[in-house]
Amino acid sequence: MFKELFNLTLLQNTIRTATPLILAALGGLLTMHSGMLNIGMEGMILLGAFFGVVGSYFFASSLAGVALAVVVGILIGVIFGFFVIELKADEFIIGIAINILAGGLTIFLLRSMFGVKGAFSSPGIISLPRLNFPSLKGIPFLDVIFNNHSVFVYISWILVILTYLFLYKTPYGMWIRAAGEHPEALETTGVSARKMKYISSIICGVFCGFAGAHLSLGYLTLFTENMSANRGFIALAAIIFGASNPLKTFGAALLFGFFDALGIRLQVVGIPSQFTQMIPYLVTVIALFIITKKHLTKVKKVGEKEGA
Amino acid sequence: MKKFITSKDTEYLISLFLSITAALIIGALIMMANGRSPIIGYASLIRGAFGSKYNIATTLAKTVPLILTGLATAISFRSGIYNIGGEGQLYLGAFAAAYVGFTFTTLPGVIGILLAIIAGAIVGALYAFIPALLKVYYKIDEVITTIMLNSVAVLFTDYLVNYPFAANQGKMGGTDMVETSYRLSRLIRLSTLNTSIFMMGFIALIIYYIMQKTSTGYSFKMVGQNATFAKYGGINAKKQMIVAMLISGGLCGVAGVLEVLGTHYRFLQNISPGFAFDGMLVALIVKNNPIGVVFMSIFFGALKTGSIAMENTTSIPSELVLVIQAIIILFIAGEAGFKRIIKDYLMKRNLQQKVGGK
Amino acid sequence: MEENIIELRGITKQFPAVLANDNINLSIQKGEIHAIVGENGAGKSTLMKILYGLLEPTSGEIFFKGEPIKITNPSIAIDHGIGMVHQHFMLLPSFTVAENIVLGTEPRRRKIFMDFKQAIEITEELVNTYGLKVNPHLKAEEVSVGIQQRIEILKALHKGADILILDEPTAVLTPQETEELFVVIRKLVKELNKTVIIITHKLQEVMALSHRVSVMRQGKLVGTVDTKDATEQILAEMMVGREVLFDPLDKKEVEGTTVLEVQELKVKDNRGLFALKSIDLKLKSGEILGIAGVEGNGQSELVEALTGLREIEKGQILIENKNITGKDPREIREMGMAHVPEDRLATGLSKKATITENMMMGTHDKEPYAIKGIHINKKPIRERAERLIKEFDVRTPTQDVLVENLSGGNMQKIIIAREFSFDTPILIISQPTRGVDIGAIEFIHKEIIEKRNEGCAILLISAELDELFRLSDRMITIYEGEITGEFINGEISKKEIGLYMTGKQNKTQEGRA
Repeated sequence: MFKELFNLTLLQNTIRTATPLILAALGGLLTMHSGMLNIGMEGMILLGAFFGVVGSYFFASSLAGVALAVVVGILIGVIFGFFVIELKADEFIIGIAINILAGGLTIFLLRSMFGVKGAFSSPGIISLPRLNFPSLKGIPFLDVIFNNHSVFVYISWILVILTYLFLYKTPYGMWIRAAGEHPEALETTGVSARKMKYISSIICGVFCGFAGAHLSLGYLTLFTENMSANRGFIALAAIIFGASNPLKTFGAALLFGFFDALGIRLQVVGIPSQFTQMIPYLVTVIALFIITKKHLTKVKKVGEKEGA
Repeated sequence: MKKFITSKDTEYLISLFLSITAALIIGALIMMANGRSPIIGYASLIRGAFGSKYNIATTLAKTVPLILTGLATAISFRSGIYNIGGEGQLYLGAFAAAYVGFTFTTLPGVIGILLAIIAGAIVGALYAFIPALLKVYYKIDEVITTIMLNSVAVLFTDYLVNYPFAANQGKMGGTDMVETSYRLSRLIRLSTLNTSIFMMGFIALIIYYIMQKTSTGYSFKMVGQNATFAKYGGINAKKQMIVAMLISGGLCGVAGVLEVLGTHYRFLQNISPGFAFDGMLVALIVKNNPIGVVFMSIFFGALKTGSIAMENTTSIPSELVLVIQAIIILFIAGEAGFKRIIKDYLMKRNLQQKVGGK
Repeated sequence: MEENIIELRGITKQFPAVLANDNINLSIQKGEIHAIVGENGAGKSTLMKILYGLLEPTSGEIFFKGEPIKITNPSIAIDHGIGMVHQHFMLLPSFTVAENIVLGTEPRRRKIFMDFKQAIEITEELVNTYGLKVNPHLKAEEVSVGIQQRIEILKALHKGADILILDEPTAVLTPQETEELFVVIRKLVKELNKTVIIITHKLQEVMALSHRVSVMRQGKLVGTVDTKDATEQILAEMMVGREVLFDPLDKKEVEGTTVLEVQELKVKDNRGLFALKSIDLKLKSGEILGIAGVEGNGQSELVEALTGLREIEKGQILIENKNITGKDPREIREMGMAHVPEDRLATGLSKKATITENMMMGTHDKEPYAIKGIHINKKPIRERAERLIKEFDVRTPTQDVLVENLSGGNMQKIIIAREFSFDTPILIISQPTRGVDIGAIEFIHKEIIEKRNEGCAILLISAELDELFRLSDRMITIYEGEITGEFINGEISKKEIGLYMTGKQNKTQEGRA
């Protein structure tokens, strides 16, 4: 049975299931760095998935699907930014509002635009291209890892590196981090912290749009109600588990993707998958506990004993 | 005693009214964009919510979980500890009630019901206790832990209901039915409205009393506003936060119990379509005021019930009300910001006029 | 030296509740050290924030070298060579010193990448040019406050500042660090031809450092004078708008017994370092014991330990011979101690609550205000609040006003009213008049003396020496967590006590030696 579970298909599935997590998490960690906890990623992914299908269907082009998902992502990023930055509204309330808005709006539009309930699929929806590197064909392992994935799998890997470089090796990344750590300090050097927060919020919208488009146009070509299926929250877990570092978050997203893929395979062999599905959430809570405890004992050694 | 309405309250009520109006207008625009008449749409919505005894009963039935989870949110948020884990606590409470209901089947009805409620409250409270401890003793953000624990609870009950406690017969993803004598009686024919509304009313009164009329309620509020001040003044802030969280979790647990005993008579794997999130929205909109929770829950319940009727008569998808609700939330969350911007603008214009007139 | 590099004309800044700057006309000459003095809340910082583009004036104009300019954000100020070192440092704790210095004007490689090597070189170059030593590789959170200030100054200079605004730069510095800072400022002006604007409320510093001084009071500019023509007395009178000499207070002789005793008390601060290194003191009923010291020498930790807000590492505290070690604030209050905290908004009040709600803290679960300790009994609560508002002259339309809408003085009166009304044998009073207007100061001082005359034992912590000398019967100086001297009021001058406060003299060590 072990062999049945842990084979190359599992690896391939891990890569697939991790991709939307990676994309959303990269966006979310940028807002996190700029000082905003975005729990609206769930809704942002859902909107991306829906409008990806809309664009692809109406323009008969997967690129148009992605483009529309991105436009909506930008819009929703601006809305999040406007409420949180300009109106100083509680970011988590806005996040929840976005989730509810996305849930309602996508079902509403699904029914009023396509006249269907539950799911919409059609041959008219063009899926995203898959990439193949002929030179890797037949090479064990590398073939599975690098071949025959939807295009966003590769894009997500590139974005991990780009996000890392952006955050830690460019002035813009420094500004994003500064905007989160001490916005006034950034303002006094003549750089607008507001702008940095907007930028991170918009990039988050775009990346979540990617994640959504990947879900609805990557392997399947359909949209179903609540298609994001908690991925926004797992992405949040990955960010926290990965301490908002793009590389570590990538690792966390892969790990969570693995458990997701494993769960699907367990189901196939008739073993309850709920426990593997729980892992990302549990692991995050436990990780938070361990990190904090370590930190506390470290501080305690020095002697801090400050009560809340 | 004189009821004191401050100008702040009036200002807030105006904002609330404007937010709702704006959201309804946006809803009307969406209807028009879909080629439907908003007048007919809203008329059928109102009729659907309040048009007959049955409709009113259905609306009221919807308020039961909303008010309970709304109060749960209000009491925790007011104490400065943010319980977003209501959904998970609700699921566990509901399962506990179902478990009591199909396991201890020989008790007298009242005892069985009481036992189920107590079990659900305890399970919900205990599940809220975990993030409360993590918050108070380790300063781990409870927003994140409660969100994570929601999914854990939903998945855990999903497992229970599909494997060890799967129904012997009938529905997939449900437990056995609870003992007949534990089921709450229906009040209006065909409607799911049942005696749980009285229990909810009783609980809501108690919560209102605690929050508004007791020294504990005062302590909750002070801890939420400024924990350092509360501690300095002799209030045990940690204890108060934990207590608030336990009450909050318990209320969500009871919301689950009443769904099982009053509506479904068993635990179902998707027993809540996000009741706790709706309840949280309700509480957020009314800024954690317990009386406000009741009124806003009725409004939300009416929207939900009416939207089905609206869909039937005008074929406008009922999900439109979710959009409307989300927009209300957005406006209310941004209310202070909007006000500030308007005030700044007016002040600036005023001053410029003064300066210009020199 | 005569050329006006900056001219402010008719600057007015209206905040929702206060007029922070009222038609200010001020000119800064090139190459001068210009001090701006005033009490807390006089509008100094607001004015400088306007000059630096962090706030927009409601009306008025700014001229730079005779040309009108609009400074709508800090980058315009920076472009005109204006740099500012803020009172609360604007450093990123997790960034290195070099990164902090180049923030906003980073050296780059291939246009988009940050050049970390060059950032360090830039920092080292700045260190050499200005003689302000910093280690570019350390993180900002790892260096001392004095060094952090150097980083701030270097940061401003790196951005090309010719005009340097320093907002209360000495508030957090030790006397040595202050002296070093002054050397640097003089050097910047004399050798490098910079202009310096320094905001402060310490008049000796103004006299020692500046060429000219402008005095602000309640949002208005009272006047600008040449320092050589001014004395501390003249400036002080300009600051407060009347003679600063208060009437003497009427102290009664009270026969007291020891009610509070602190023995070998050791307490750690938030960073885990010992803030108090074995403190002993005794407090008698009917006396005011003043604690004199530069801020940050353990006074806050002492108060927190006494009131149960901070854990005690070693030693003990006795109230009427009962040990309070390990007791929580509530138990300590019940043993007979009330507390006016140093930071009224952080600790003393909830600004989102009404006056009534703030005043009921501590009585909220006691009869008759809470029936059986549970049911809130509104009538006596409101009557008590009404009485306290009257007795302590809190200026408010009703008791249902949110505290955040009140002035600092009125907030402070609420705390004092509440704490004094408990009628405890011991009162711990910390910074009772910080940021409070003159009228309220007089009122608060009289209330304190009245408490003393009634036989209350009062421990008074204040950063204002005048206040300590006016109120105390006895004084203790504290330096780096140790008591350096004890004096009966009248046996020592303010100048002399300064030596004990800065550790230059130490009675206890002399005694031991």
